[in-house]
Amino acid sequence: MASHLATDRSKTLLRVPGWRWPLAPVLALALGLFGFVLRRAPAAVAGTPWEAALDWLPALGLSLHLRLDSLSLIFALLITGIGALVVAYSMPYMQGEQGLGRYYASLTLFMLAMFGLVMAGNLLLLFVFWELTSISSYLLIGFRHEEAESQEAALQALLVTGAGGLAMLAGIVLIGQVYGSFDLGVILAEPTRLRAHPLYGWALGLILAGAFTKSAQFPFHFWLPKAMVAPTPVSAYLHSATMVKAGIYLLARLSPLLGGSIAWQATLTTAGGLTMLLGAWQALRQHDLKGILAYTTISTLGMMVALLGLGTAEASQAALVTLVAHALYKGALFLVAGAVDHETGTRDVRLLGGFWAYGPALGLVAALAALSMAGLPPTLGFVAKELGYSAALEWSEQAIASGGLALLVLAANACNVALAVVLGYRVFFGEPGGPWPRKPHGMPWLLVLPGLLLAGASWLVGILPGLLDGAVERAVGLVLPGAHAGHLALWHGWSLPLALSMVTLASGAGLYALWRRRPPAPCGEPRLSALAAYRWLVYRALPGAASGLTRTLQNGSLRFYIMVILASTVLVAGGTLVRSGLLSRGSLSSEAYAWPELLMTALLVAAALGVVLAPTRLGAILSLGAVGSMVTLLYVRFRAPDLALTQLLIEALTVILLLQVFHYLPPGFEEHVRPRRAALEIAVAASVGLLMAGLVLMANGVQFAPPIARYYLEQSAPLAHGHNVVNVILVDFRGYDTLGEITVLATAAIGVYALLRVRRRKA
Amino acid sequence: MLPTLSVLNLNGAVPQIAVAGAGMLIMLIDALFHRGSRRWAAYLALLGLAVALARVVESGASAETILDGALARDGLGMAFALVLIVAAALSVLVAMDYLRREEHERAEYYALILFATAGGLAMAMANDLVAVFIGLETLSISLYVLSAFFTGDAASREAALKYLLLGAFASAFFLYGIALLYGASGTTRLVEMGTAIRLAGTQADPLLWGGVALIIVGVGFKLALVPFHSWAPDVYQGAPTSVTAFMSVASKVAAFAALVRLLVVVLAPAAPLTSALLALLAVLTMTVGNILALAQDEVKRLLAYSSIAQAGYILVAAVAGEVGAAAVLFYLLGYAFTNLGAFAVVLAWSRRGEGRLPFSDLAGLGFRRPWTAAALSLFLLSLTGMPLTVGFVGKLYLFGAAVQAGWTWLAIVAVLNSVVSAFYYLRLVVIMYMREAEMPLALQRAGLALGVALAVCAAGVILLGLVPGVALDWARQAVAVVLS
Repeated sequence: MASHLATDRSKTLLRVPGWRWPLAPVLALALGLFGFVLRRAPAAVAGTPWEAALDWLPALGLSLHLRLDSLSLIFALLITGIGALVVAYSMPYMQGEQGLGRYYASLTLFMLAMFGLVMAGNLLLLFVFWELTSISSYLLIGFRHEEAESQEAALQALLVTGAGGLAMLAGIVLIGQVYGSFDLGVILAEPTRLRAHPLYGWALGLILAGAFTKSAQFPFHFWLPKAMVAPTPVSAYLHSATMVKAGIYLLARLSPLLGGSIAWQATLTTAGGLTMLLGAWQALRQHDLKGILAYTTISTLGMMVALLGLGTAEASQAALVTLVAHALYKGALFLVAGAVDHETGTRDVRLLGGFWAYGPALGLVAALAALSMAGLPPTLGFVAKELGYSAALEWSEQAIASGGLALLVLAANACNVALAVVLGYRVFFGEPGGPWPRKPHGMPWLLVLPGLLLAGASWLVGILPGLLDGAVERAVGLVLPGAHAGHLALWHGWSLPLALSMVTLASGAGLYALWRRRPPAPCGEPRLSALAAYRWLVYRALPGAASGLTRTLQNGSLRFYIMVILASTVLVAGGTLVRSGLLSRGSLSSEAYAWPELLMTALLVAAALGVVLAPTRLGAILSLGAVGSMVTLLYVRFRAPDLALTQLLIEALTVILLLQVFHYLPPGFEEHVRPRRAALEIAVAASVGLLMAGLVLMANGVQFAPPIARYYLEQSAPLAHGHNVVNVILVDFRGYDTLGEITVLATAAIGVYALLRVRRRKA
Repeated sequence: MLPTLSVLNLNGAVPQIAVAGAGMLIMLIDALFHRGSRRWAAYLALLGLAVALARVVESGASAETILDGALARDGLGMAFALVLIVAAALSVLVAMDYLRREEHERAEYYALILFATAGGLAMAMANDLVAVFIGLETLSISLYVLSAFFTGDAASREAALKYLLLGAFASAFFLYGIALLYGASGTTRLVEMGTAIRLAGTQADPLLWGGVALIIVGVGFKLALVPFHSWAPDVYQGAPTSVTAFMSVASKVAAFAALVRLLVVVLAPAAPLTSALLALLAVLTMTVGNILALAQDEVKRLLAYSSIAQAGYILVAAVAGEVGAAAVLFYLLGYAFTNLGAFAVVLAWSRRGEGRLPFSDLAGLGFRRPWTAAALSLFLLSLTGMPLTVGFVGKLYLFGAAVQAGWTWLAIVAVLNSVVSAFYYLRLVVIMYMREAEMPLALQRAGLALGVALAVCAAGVILLGLVPGVALDWARQAVAVVLS
């Protein structure tokens, strides 16, 4: 039966466009994980989280510790559920694209990474998954890699979120240092310890850098709209429903640890509030469907961050419910936008309108989702908005503060309402503004169904908030230990929040009227923006500084390199001596010097100066010879004839060799050195000389080993039975040395033979 | 006073003897008998290294010394020796096809690699400053010659000359440092020197401080720490790529081995000052190395700067002294696979007669050469420190050691530097997969030996990244056994 169905598939309803075999396991994986989470949901809500642990790197405190409590549960359900829907939606949407294997592989990688992120019971593990989501997001944004815009957007997202992730790692390391463990269970068992620690400020700042970059908070928000070049299912999944909420997850998860301080409250509410207003304002100025969706997403993310910053039970509850509501309605709207784009070939709201005629089913999905976005009862969006208002109103004792906050939230919500009308009404019932690039022709049902399920869920949970209540209640307790929020309900009676909701709707309608009169025109990048700052940093400042530094430090001149190394040596050695307070301790020996030594020394200095100042190479070599001769004389004077002899031989040989070599070089020094450079070089040379002289003086007084000669004189007869001490030293005491010297001679002989052999062969 | 053969303990020196002996055998056979292909020399070199490796693994660590106490066979020395031998063997594999392609296949190449390795082994196991110096010189002189190995190539000759001249300064400083430390303690044996310094206290002696500073200068030059690094980019770029690969790994392993031993055995009482100095050098090295790497448009030079920065990361753990020793060892093991692998891809892809590999040449190779490109991506991710590669585990260990020793700010600077480095490492990956080639590169077939080397490196990076437990334990146990 099954095989019959399979072979006959092309004729049946089961025919799915864009079907490829790798899809089945991906879909099965997503659904399997969804089922896995759902089965463990009751336990998580009841407060007995599912846990599994496998020691991966116990030595470094990294274990594969997974944990499903109710905060993770909310995220995990969204990740796996929306993941499955997005995979199904991709089948028709991505049909005919090149590199589908890569697409689904990256999507799977992302889903697993994101799933791991919210399940991780260990901060380092969380970081690992965090970076994996950045990488898979990079691969997905840059999926159409032949387009330059995709490349830049992908790289931008990766750099911003990846860099934030690494900053977060630094914060994690600090937390690990304070607690001596990276295990979340251990850390959260004693949440207040960090706040009392001097490293708290650093840890907070670094962790927030990670969360803010990932969740597109001001001033790191600019990567998200650019990331919309990704295929729309990816935007729906990563850049609206799940990945950008990883930052929210992190803040919620670590709120017991980091929260409760003025710094936390001030940073989160300021950054979140700014993001909320900026995103809403920017969203009004977009004409691309995905642009509108991206900026309203930024705005909502900002609202969640601000709510978490307030740090009250109501606010945390509002943040969590907003998160779920947003994932459901925004995911659906993204899928609608993708379907419209797929059919018409455009996403420009100025062109779109009257799509109802081609896709009433899609219109229904859009309407359902838009009502939730606008916050109308009985949707989850309404529940979330009410909670947001009451959290804002009850936040502070002072009516001005809470009232002001509520008004800001209201402003952002009104923009949301206006744009919900654009998305849910205008596209389907408005007047088309121009011809579409493509004529719609029979939409595949898989482009509609996933959106319908998401929008429907948003209504279902709105009507029956009890479905979400238990999980949220428990999760609020995890965000703020010991806190309890009221039960979720659709109807709270006639109250101030409800009145605010009315005002929101009214001002939203007004905003839409204004928007319709003056539809957004394409506007250029503002000159001063976070994006401009990023571009300046990445494309101008860093490369500029880097190449400037390269030109200065690595100019290829050996002379310069030597100067740098010598100067550094003086600094290191001199600095060490100064720091240890020992520089003053070197002293000249009090022994009186007679005039011959002084004369020799004077001549030696003169000859050394001659080497440096000589205009010709020959002169320099001869002066060098003079230096050597003076040293030889000093040896003779201090009764060391053997040293003197060696020195003389070496000197003679060196001068001859140098003359041989310099025979091939021009006689004079042509290189011209600028005076300032010359002064620098003289200073470095002088300081090296001083350092070496100082070290010699310091070393001068040390004498501890007894002279070695007496030992040989006494022991040569009894030990080696020889009376010629020199012979005994050569063949007995230092026999190995002699063996070595013989070996050197033999090796040299072999070398000479080999060279002769080469010459003979050549001849 | 009188050394006898049993004191020399030549049995324990089998690794060094095998390596150096194979090198001498190659020279001898080549000079006296041989003409034609030189592949046998590579096999002989691999054989010598295999014997050394087997000996190191089989005999394990012990408290005995070699050459009358000059070399130690303790865990620290044997572990670094093992890393060095593995790196040398991979370098030989990497060079085989490359030298033939560039028409510079000569037997002395392998002999010189072996001599350099023998020098490095001496440094890794040295219990005597004179032994360190002899090892250092053996390593360095072999590398000077190797840098000039492409005699017809002006860049290769210039590299060798710069290396030689600047290296001579460094050697002189190092030797001066040894002399001063000898003056301060009355011995060159590290263990006795450590005891003497502990007994004498550290405050009093200018000779000690002068000596320490000069030795750090010498080691710093070998490690290419900023500001003693200026030779490195020019030499790394000018030298034949296979030599650069070997040099960037082997000198770091050997020099870090010597540095760690110095810090643990001799300078532990002086830790406050040496750590401050090394921390300063680490910050400079990481930062300057990374910023300079940003400006490059050519892979070989990029890797040169990146290996400067990498030395900075490793130094972060070295600052932590005894706590960081295992991290240094583990990171170097991973780094050997990663960096050699990356250079192997460079030399597989670079045009004949040209060491350079401009970024533009990489375009489109992700799909034209999927396996090699995947391997290069893996190595680059590991150098960045991305999870699931050895680079991540290694960096975590390095920076964790610094935090544990109280150098939190240094660890944070290191992490921030990793951020900067991600920019240039990942850019290469982007170019490989996301850009179309304007002028497709004519690629040579990579030979079997190179393929084996790449496979080993990639396997090392993945295995050590996924299941690093065994290697971590090995590193920890190894450094716990130090002759003292």
